[in-house]
Amino acid sequence: MFELCLYFELEIMGPNGFRTEKMMSARTMKRKRGRRKFMERLGVATAAAAGAAALPAAARAAAPKRAVQYGMLIDARRCVGCHACTVACKSEFDVPLGVNRSWVEYTEKGDHPFAQRTFLPRLCNHCSEPPCVRVCPTGATYKRRDGIVVIDKNMCIGCKYCLQACPYDARFLNPITGTADKCDFCVHRISQGLVPACVNTCVGRARIFGDVNASGSEISKLIAHNAVTVLRKEMGTQPNVFYIGADDSDEHDIHYTGQYIHVNTHRSKKERR
Amino acid sequence: MHGEELTWSLPVISYLFLAGMGAGALATSASVLLRSGPSGTYFNIARYGAFIAPIPVSIGCFLLIFELGTFHVGLWFRWINLYRVINLSPMSIGTWLLTFFIGISILYAATFLPRNAAPGDKWDRPRRLLAWVCVPLGIGVAVYTGVLLGAMPSRPFWNSPILAMLFLLSSLSTGIAGIMLAWAILHRKGDPEAEHRYRESGYLLTATDILLIALESLVLLLFIMYAHLTIGSVKHAISVILAGGPLASTFWLWVVLLGLLIPAVIELFLILPRLLYQKTFEVHRSLEVFMPVAVLIGGFMLRYVVVTAGQITYPIGL
Ligand code: SF4
Ligand code: SF4
Repeated sequence: MFELCLYFELEIMGPNGFRTEKMMSARTMKRKRGRRKFMERLGVATAAAAGAAALPAAARAAAPKRAVQYGMLIDARRCVGCHACTVACKSEFDVPLGVNRSWVEYTEKGDHPFAQRTFLPRLCNHCSEPPCVRVCPTGATYKRRDGIVVIDKNMCIGCKYCLQACPYDARFLNPITGTADKCDFCVHRISQGLVPACVNTCVGRARIFGDVNASGSEISKLIAHNAVTVLRKEMGTQPNVFYIGADDSDEHDIHYTGQYIHVNTHRSKKERR
Repeated sequence: MHGEELTWSLPVISYLFLAGMGAGALATSASVLLRSGPSGTYFNIARYGAFIAPIPVSIGCFLLIFELGTFHVGLWFRWINLYRVINLSPMSIGTWLLTFFIGISILYAATFLPRNAAPGDKWDRPRRLLAWVCVPLGIGVAVYTGVLLGAMPSRPFWNSPILAMLFLLSSLSTGIAGIMLAWAILHRKGDPEAEHRYRESGYLLTATDILLIALESLVLLLFIMYAHLTIGSVKHAISVILAGGPLASTFWLWVVLLGLLIPAVIELFLILPRLLYQKTFEVHRSLEVFMPVAVLIGGFMLRYVVVTAGQITYPIGL
């Protein structure tokens, strides 16, 4: 039911995925809801008549596969931890001091002579089942048709509910606008046919951006042919940022391995959450 | 205390406490009104509860608005956007619930305004009708304060259905404490008839409160026990309030000892003589004030510990 609701809400967006209407009035919403009920009933009726429950079952299936779902593949083996992406992102959006849309974490572990340091670039995962969208009371956070999760900053009230709900700590409160903010895959760039700023600047070509649902795209081929992981899979968020060779150990692992582990988030929040 | 600023801090903590207390007061007032007959023995409980209810809830809502990011940058009225949308977000549902709560609880309080308000007067019907709405509304708001926190897997400390139950019981208990406190402060010695009613009502409130405290302790025990017996994120989260955790002393001293154990023991001693030997219910003035104050402090500290613990813990592993 909720999926359906989200699904229909997305219908109000224009052809290129941007919202054409500033916001829906309560009345439009009511009309839409009425129509939806009607269509649902219609659906059930037709299916029952045809003796096949295929239509409503398909409509109710979780996370309808989108025609387009932008995503990113990060090859951690190619990352050198130079923070070029962090800086490119900062300057692209004039991100205020103390907060990040994109950042790189260092994980140090082991004792000499077996010490190692790995790098983990982080950003919003543009989840297919985004908890941030579910909790937003104003509908300011929504998932576009192309799968990018964005925040309408004219609608957001800054309640910070989504900051709590994101299991990746990808969101922050923008101290200048007072609204929630995060990575948006550089929608202004990709709508002009460019790649996101972090992808553009990456010295190791560790970041591949593209449509993960298009079978012919570079990213979907790489995902198909490599062992990829996502972060916090058990949360059920179905992230669309994939990693190759990511070291996802965290400081709690010290209890199991007894090995020295230190995670440096390079953020004002020292602890990774 | 934790080096970092909390995303939801004191305004939200106070709001959860105040909304719960108001909701508890309203639910208590309305159910007492509906249950009591025409004799009017308990009418004053209903009256005090009705007058108290809208005040903490409204203050809590203002505090919530102060916490909004947009309010801090001078967009004073951005929160109105909450009313442009209805969706399944607990906060959206809560907004509408609170709006109805404040409206209806004010109407309900208004039916008690006439100086000679009594059961059977001309406001009796609307008062009772509103009371029927007020019971579910009060319980709804109290539960919602727990659902607001509980709805997120990203916060293992909060992500438990029993949290809403805990907040509901604590809300009812603090609501009753609010009524007791107001009454203890405003009460003046009157004729023997009024004294009798006062004692009967005091007994009812105290006896109800000890039941609620007992249930609350049980739910709290289950909450901690189940969290501790799991492995992984939830166990890690609960460890912040167990021995050695950063919030352990706050939790055990303020919430458990002051907020639950001490009031429970006092209330037990107060009601037992009447319960067992039919003696008259007597309370010393100082206890009459101390007991509800302890319950209220405990209720606030419960919100404080839960909200803080939820934000300093996170799912383990990445
Ligand atoms: S990573 Fe966080 S902010 Fe991004 S879509 Fe997922 S839940 Fe939302
Ligand atoms: S802070 Fe803004 S985007 Fe986030 S939940 Fe609140 S209204 Fe929605």
